[in-house]
Amino acid sequence: MSLFTVENLTYYYPDAAVPSLHSVDLAIEEGEFLLLAGGSGSGKSSLARALTGLIPDFYGGKIGGKVSYQNRDLRSWSRRDLAREVGMVFQDPEKQLVMTGVESEVAFGLENLGLPQAEMFRRVAEVMSFLGLTALKSEFTATLSGGQKQKLALGSVLAMQPYTLILDEPTSQLNPAVAEEFFNLIKRLNEEMNLTIILVEQRLDRCFHLADRVIIMADGTIVQAGPPGETAVWLIKNGLSFVPPVAALFAHAGSTEIPLTVKEGRRLLKRILSCEKCPKEGKEPPELAQQHRPSNDNLLARDPALKANGNAIMAPGPALAQIQEETEHKNQGLVKTNKIISPHHTVVISCTENQTKKPVIEVKNLFFSYLNGRETLRGINLLVNSGEFLAILGENAAGKTTLLKQLVGLLKPSRGRVTVMGRDTRRAAAHELARHIGYLPQNPNDCLFQDTVEEELHFTLTNLNLPDEGRVDRLLGRLGLSHHRHSNPRDLSSGERQRVALAAVLVAAPQLLLLDEPTRSIDYGTKADLGSLLQEITREGSAVVTVTHDVEFAAEYVGRVVMLFDGRIAFDGPKHAALGNSMFYSPQISRLFRGIDSSVLTLREALDRLLSKLSSCS
Amino acid sequence: MLQKFIYQEKGLFLQSLHPVASLTLIAAFFLLSLSFSHPYYLLGLLLVILLSLWAAGGLAAWEGYLKAVLWLILLIVLINALVNRSGSTILWNGPELPLFGRLPVTMEAISYGATMGVRLLNMVSAFCLFNLIVHPDRFFSLFSTVARKSVLVVTLATRLFPLLLATLERIREAQQLRGVDFSQGTLRERVMKNAAIFNTLLLSALEDSLQMAEAMQARAFGSGSRSRYRRDIFRPRDAICLAGIGLSLLVSVYSLARGMGTYTYFPELGSLQGSKISLIALAVVLLGLSVPALLNWGCKYWPYLKWKI
Amino acid sequence: MAKWKAPLFFLIVIGLLAFSITTGKQVKLSWSLLAAGIVGVAIIFLYWDFEQSPVSPREISVIAVLGAVAALARVSLAALPNIQPVTFLVIVSGYVFGARTGFMVGSTAALASNFFLGQGPWTPWQMFAWGLAGASAAYFRAAVPNAGKWVLALFQFAWGYLFGCIMNVWTWTAFIYPLSWQSFLATWATSLWFDSLHALSNVFFYLIFGGGVIKILNRVKKKIEVSRLPVQDVPASNNHKLLLYKTITYSSIKGLPR
Repeated sequence: MSLFTVENLTYYYPDAAVPSLHSVDLAIEEGEFLLLAGGSGSGKSSLARALTGLIPDFYGGKIGGKVSYQNRDLRSWSRRDLAREVGMVFQDPEKQLVMTGVESEVAFGLENLGLPQAEMFRRVAEVMSFLGLTALKSEFTATLSGGQKQKLALGSVLAMQPYTLILDEPTSQLNPAVAEEFFNLIKRLNEEMNLTIILVEQRLDRCFHLADRVIIMADGTIVQAGPPGETAVWLIKNGLSFVPPVAALFAHAGSTEIPLTVKEGRRLLKRILSCEKCPKEGKEPPELAQQHRPSNDNLLARDPALKANGNAIMAPGPALAQIQEETEHKNQGLVKTNKIISPHHTVVISCTENQTKKPVIEVKNLFFSYLNGRETLRGINLLVNSGEFLAILGENAAGKTTLLKQLVGLLKPSRGRVTVMGRDTRRAAAHELARHIGYLPQNPNDCLFQDTVEEELHFTLTNLNLPDEGRVDRLLGRLGLSHHRHSNPRDLSSGERQRVALAAVLVAAPQLLLLDEPTRSIDYGTKADLGSLLQEITREGSAVVTVTHDVEFAAEYVGRVVMLFDGRIAFDGPKHAALGNSMFYSPQISRLFRGIDSSVLTLREALDRLLSKLSSCS
Repeated sequence: MLQKFIYQEKGLFLQSLHPVASLTLIAAFFLLSLSFSHPYYLLGLLLVILLSLWAAGGLAAWEGYLKAVLWLILLIVLINALVNRSGSTILWNGPELPLFGRLPVTMEAISYGATMGVRLLNMVSAFCLFNLIVHPDRFFSLFSTVARKSVLVVTLATRLFPLLLATLERIREAQQLRGVDFSQGTLRERVMKNAAIFNTLLLSALEDSLQMAEAMQARAFGSGSRSRYRRDIFRPRDAICLAGIGLSLLVSVYSLARGMGTYTYFPELGSLQGSKISLIALAVVLLGLSVPALLNWGCKYWPYLKWKI
Repeated sequence: MAKWKAPLFFLIVIGLLAFSITTGKQVKLSWSLLAAGIVGVAIIFLYWDFEQSPVSPREISVIAVLGAVAALARVSLAALPNIQPVTFLVIVSGYVFGARTGFMVGSTAALASNFFLGQGPWTPWQMFAWGLAGASAAYFRAAVPNAGKWVLALFQFAWGYLFGCIMNVWTWTAFIYPLSWQSFLATWATSLWFDSLHALSNVFFYLIFGGGVIKILNRVKKKIEVSRLPVQDVPASNNHKLLLYKTITYSSIKGLPR
C-alpha cells in the first residue's frame, strides 16, 4: 500500500491554456526519499504542491484525476489533518517566515493547529534542541543568516511533526557549504525518523545520491522514474542535463556502473586506470564521446601553455572556433547534452598572440572599511584585461559583494585606487560608470519594473542616451526572448526573468560585465546557456567578472579565479591552478581526479582522460 | 537612525517582566498622566518615568523623542496662551484678530499650557519606555487569541519592514547601475526616477506576499480555532511590581476623588502648597510606580535579590 | 453579527458621552479621556469586524505588505515636513481592495511605522485616521463609480485636511483649555500649513504614482480573485486529446518501477 497515490492527475493554473501537470501517475511509499527533478516549468513544483493540497486549495484552477494520501482522496482531508501529516518547506526562507522572533516562529504552526500549551512547549523545545536553534531563541528573525533562516523554516514545519516532508528547492538561496549541511539534516530525518521526503531540486550534485528514487519531469509529465544510477543513464541517453558531474562522466564513458558520489567514483576510476576489467558496455565507446575528441586534443595540446603562463589571458582561437562549430553541428540532435559537456569555447593562449588586450579593471592596494568600522577589504590588487572571464569565489562575508560594489563605483575606496575602464571610481559616480559597465544583480526582480520586456531594454538605452538601431531586436533574438517581447517580465519564469535582466544590461554593449551570483536559482540548462553566453561575450572582447559560490560553474566556464578570504586575495590565477589544487573549492570532477591528475577540471577533460585510458586498455 | 527606537534585548530586569506587568506599568503612567492636572503630580510622574527610562538604559532614545515632541509642546503652550481667556492675571493684551477678537495672554493660560506640555511629555516618555522594555512579539501574543488575524497582519508588517528596506536599497543600486542619476534632472524627472524604484518595490513585495500566504496556509493557518503559545513566566517580581502599581492606582483614585490630583488654573492659579495628606498620597503614588525601576537597580547590584524574585 | 455591531458601537459612544455629561461635575471624566475612549472603541470595533470576516491568508499577507510598504515610504520620507506618502497609498489600497482592506492597511501602516519612528499617544489616532482614509476610499468609489482622475485627486486633497482635523481633535481635547470653537480653529490654524503640505503631497503622489500603483494593485487583485473561483474539474476525455497535442511523447518510457 502506498502512502501517496497520484492517478491521472492533470492541472491547469487559473487562466492557463496549457496544463502544468498532465496525466501524472505516481505512487510514493512510506519512508521513501524521492527526488523530483526537471527544468523550470517542468511541473515539478506543481506536483509537489498537488501533494500538499495547496493545489488546488490555494491556487484554484482546473484539476482532473486524483491524489490520495493513505488511500483517501486528498480533497476529503481537512486542511488541519493534512497539515499534521504533510509539511512543506519552500524555496526562499525570507518568504515563509511569519513572526518577528525565532521562538514564536516555531510555535506559529502549532498555534494554528490549536494544540494545548504544554504540548506546544514540548515540541518547540524538542525542535529547537534538535536543530541547534536554542541559542537563537530570542533573536529577531531578521537578524539571522540565510542558513539559519532556512533551518528555522524547517524547524517550524518539523514542530508540527509531519510524516511526510516536501521541500521545494530548499537550498537555492544558500551557499554550497550551508546547502550540504541542510541536505545532511534531511537525510538524517529520512533515515532516523523515517520521514518520507519529497525533494524538488535543480542542483543535483549534492543530493542525487541521497535519494532512493529520482523522478524526472518534463512538460508536466513524468518522463522517467527510477533509482539514481538508472536515472543517470537514462538522462544521459536522452540528452537531458540534470545529472551530477561524476555520474555524467561515467555515463558518458559508457560505463554500466554509475557512481553517484566522489567516493564511489574514485573506486571505479582507480579500477579503470589500473586497467582492471573495464566495467564498460561491450560495444565501442559511444558515439557521443567520440564526437568531442577533436577539440579536446586541441585543448590538451595547449594545456602546458596554461601551466607555463600564470597570467595568460583568454581569447578565441580561430581554429578552435571552427572545430567547435563542427562539433555543435554534429550534435544538433543532442543539443542539451552538448551544453553540459560545455563546448569549451575558451582556450588559453599565450600573451604573444596579440589580441587587443587592454586593462579594464585596475585595483591597486585597495582598503575599505564600512562606516561602522569593520574593515572589509584589505590590500586588494587586481588587474583584469578585456576578454577575460573571471570568477570571484569565497565564503560569505569574505568581501565578495563589497569588492563588486567597489568595481561598479557604488562604494569608494577608503585607501588605494580602483580604476575601471580608465576612470578612477573616486571621481566618477556609479551612473557615469554605468555607460561602460553592465551589472546584473543577484535577484533579477530588483531591476524589472516596466510593463513589457521591450520597454525594459529601452529604459537602459534611454538612460544612457544610446540609439536603438536594431540592438533590441538582435539581443532579444540572441537570448531567445523574441516571443516574449511584449510580455510583462513579471509573468515570466525565474530563468527567463534573469535573461530579461541580462538583456537590459547587455543592450548597452558594456565592455565590462559584472554579475552577482548569477547561478543561484536557475536550473542546469539555463546555467549552461548562461555560461556559453558569457563566454561568447568574452570572445567578443568584453570582460566578464562574476561573484559566485558555484564552483562547478566556475570550473566549467570561467578562465581565471580569484579567491577572497577575510577581505584579502588568497589566490589569483587560471582556474586549473586554482580549483585543481584545491580540496574544498573544487568541483566534483576535480575531487574525483585529486592526486591522479590535477589538470582535470571539467567534464570534457575528464571524459577525454578516461576515454584515452579506456582505448589504451583495450 | 532606525535602530534607536527598536526593541533590543539587553537582558535587563525590566525586560524580564511578564508583559502583563510591564504593560500595566505603561498603562498606569499613561492614564495617570491624563487624569492628573496638578503640576506636582505630573512632574512627579515625569520623574518616575525618567527613573524607569534610566533603569532601562534608554535616556539616549528618550532624547530622540524629546526632540520630536518639543515643537508640539511649544505649540500647545502658544495656543493655550493665546486662546484661553479665562485667566485673570493679564501679562499682555495681545493682538486683535477678526473672528477671535482680542487675545489676551494671561499668566494662568501659560501655566496651564506648560503643565499640558508636561502631560504630553509624560505620555510620550511612557511610550518610549514601552518600546524599550516590551518585546513586540510578547506584546502581540497577548492579543493573539482574541485578535489572531489582526495581530498576524501587524507582526508580518513589522517583520517585512527591514526586509523591504534592504530590497529598496538593492533596487536603487540596480537603477544607478543602469545609468540613472538620482541627483540630476528637474524635480519632475527626479520624482519619476524615484517612482520607478517605488513601483519595482511594490511589484516585488506584492509578488512575495503570495508566497508568504502559501507558506502560511501550508502551516495550517486558518484551519480552525487557534491556540496561543505562552512563553512568559509569572514570577514574584511581577507580583511585587503589580502590587506597587496597584497600590499607587488605588491611592490615585482616592486623591482624585478628594480633589487632590487636580489643580485650579482659572480664573486664578490655586495655591501650590499642598496639604500634608496630599503630599503623602503623592509620595505613595510615586513610590508605587517606582517599584519596577528600583528592583531593576537592586537586581543589578545585589544578585541575591535577583535569584529570589 | 454585523447587524448589531454598529448599533452596539453607537450605544457605547452615547453611553460614554452621557456618563461624561452627568458625572462631569463630580468625577471629571476629562474630555481627553472621553475622546481617546471613543477612538479606542471605534478601533476595537473595526478590528473586531476584520477578525470575524472570512479573510484568506492571501489577503492577510497583501494587507501586511501594503502596510509595510506604506510604513517604509513614511519612514524614508520622515525628514521632509509632512510630505506624507501613507495617505495616498492607503486611499489607493482602499479604492482597489475595498473598505476592510483599506482600513487595515491604514492602521497597520501607522502602527508599524511608529515602531521605527516612535510609538506615542498619537498612535491610536493615526491608526484611526489612516484607517478611515482607506475605508472611505472604498465608499467613495461606490458612491462615485466613474470618478475621473481629477475627482480622485480632489478626494486625496480633502484627506490631507481631514487627517489633520482628526489629529487636531486629539491635541485639542488633551491639551487645550477651554474647548471652544475658537480654540479648535486656533489649533487647526497652527497645523494648517502642515495640512496643506499633506493635501498637496497627496495630490502630487496620486498624479505621479497613482496610475502605476493602481495598475499593480489591480493585477494582484485579479490574481487573488481568480484563485478564489471554485475549482473546476477537467473532464477525463479532455486528457486524451491533450496527449496527442504534446510535441514529445514519452509514453513508451513512462511508468513506475516495481
